Amino acid sequence: MEPPPGVTCGGPWTLGSEIQRVPPPVRKDHMQDAELAALAQAGDREAFGELVRRHAAQARRIARVILGDSEDADDAAQDGFLAALRHIGRFDPSRPFGPWLLKIVANAAADRRRRRKVRHAEPLAPHLATGGDAPDRSADLSALNAALKQALAQLPERQRMAVVLFDAEGYSHREIGEVLGIPEGTVRSDVFHARRTLREALATWEEWRKETS
Amino acid sequence: MTDMSPFDHRQDAELGRALQRALTAPNDAAFVRRVLAAADQVYGDVAPGQWWTVLTAWARPGLVAAMLVVAAAAFWLGLWVGSRGPGSSMATFTDPLQTESEQLSVPALLVEDGAPTVDVVLAVAMGR
Repeated sequence: MEPPPGVTCGGPWTLGSEIQRVPPPVRKDHMQDAELAALAQAGDREAFGELVRRHAAQARRIARVILGDSEDADDAAQDGFLAALRHIGRFDPSRPFGPWLLKIVANAAADRRRRRKVRHAEPLAPHLATGGDAPDRSADLSALNAALKQALAQLPERQRMAVVLFDAEGYSHREIGEVLGIPEGTVRSDVFHARRTLREALATWEEWRKETS
Repeated sequence: MTDMSPFDHRQDAELGRALQRALTAPNDAAFVRRVLAAADQVYGDVAPGQWWTVLTAWARPGLVAAMLVVAAAAFWLGLWVGSRGPGSSMATFTDPLQTESEQLSVPALLVEDGAPTVDVVLAVAMGR
């Protein structure tokens, strides 16, 4: 039996009253988050796996913003994903998945921090703390990372979250307001204050960079 | 850092990249595997198709629906009975006695020749 004109042979065919083209299965990595969430709710583990793959890095960063560098952050991110899976029926598919997930992750991280009752920050890189010799280029990035972490650790948690969600994760002020449960104007204010503090704290590193670039 | 104003409503791409670099943890793949292994447990807990899970999910709304139906039926029955009023012709077990009491009275019983039956005495008493 010949396929209809315009349809190439070699695709999957079924025989019935007439030849019908069977649509190929849609790949999970091409699906929207809302579609994946609906499939995950119906018990599709691959769909949930794709959601985890897409949002893992972001969720881990947000957990680290709240808990600092520790294994606790990954534990909290995992708690967040599992809580999201348990309550995925509450996700509104007309809204973006990212803020909904990050709110759950942030709550999970805050719960862990309350249980831990200990907050620690990585020590400032020695050359930044003491004003000693400038680091060589190979240490440039790690010095910047250390300085940024130290500066972040000095910020109030809400400002930390706001600036990371805005500048690093690319969320809008409105979405950040939903994640943090605060008005949009407060988010703008938090981002402003956080940026100012970060820039002041990193002035030493910037001066060195300008001198060496 | 860039020279953007802190008031700027746009994302600061350079600051964003630096923050991402500082906060990104290594080995996302291992983390994903770990989460999915834990998720298997969650899926196992709520595996679809288990009849008791389905029944449990239905139990609470089912009970609420049943209570609403009973309440609505009771309300409707109350309205229906109320609309008939006390003088309605609803048959009861006392109707024959009431009929007797309307026809008889104590003086009538006293002047009767024979002794009244128990039913007649009871009917007269209820009529009072």
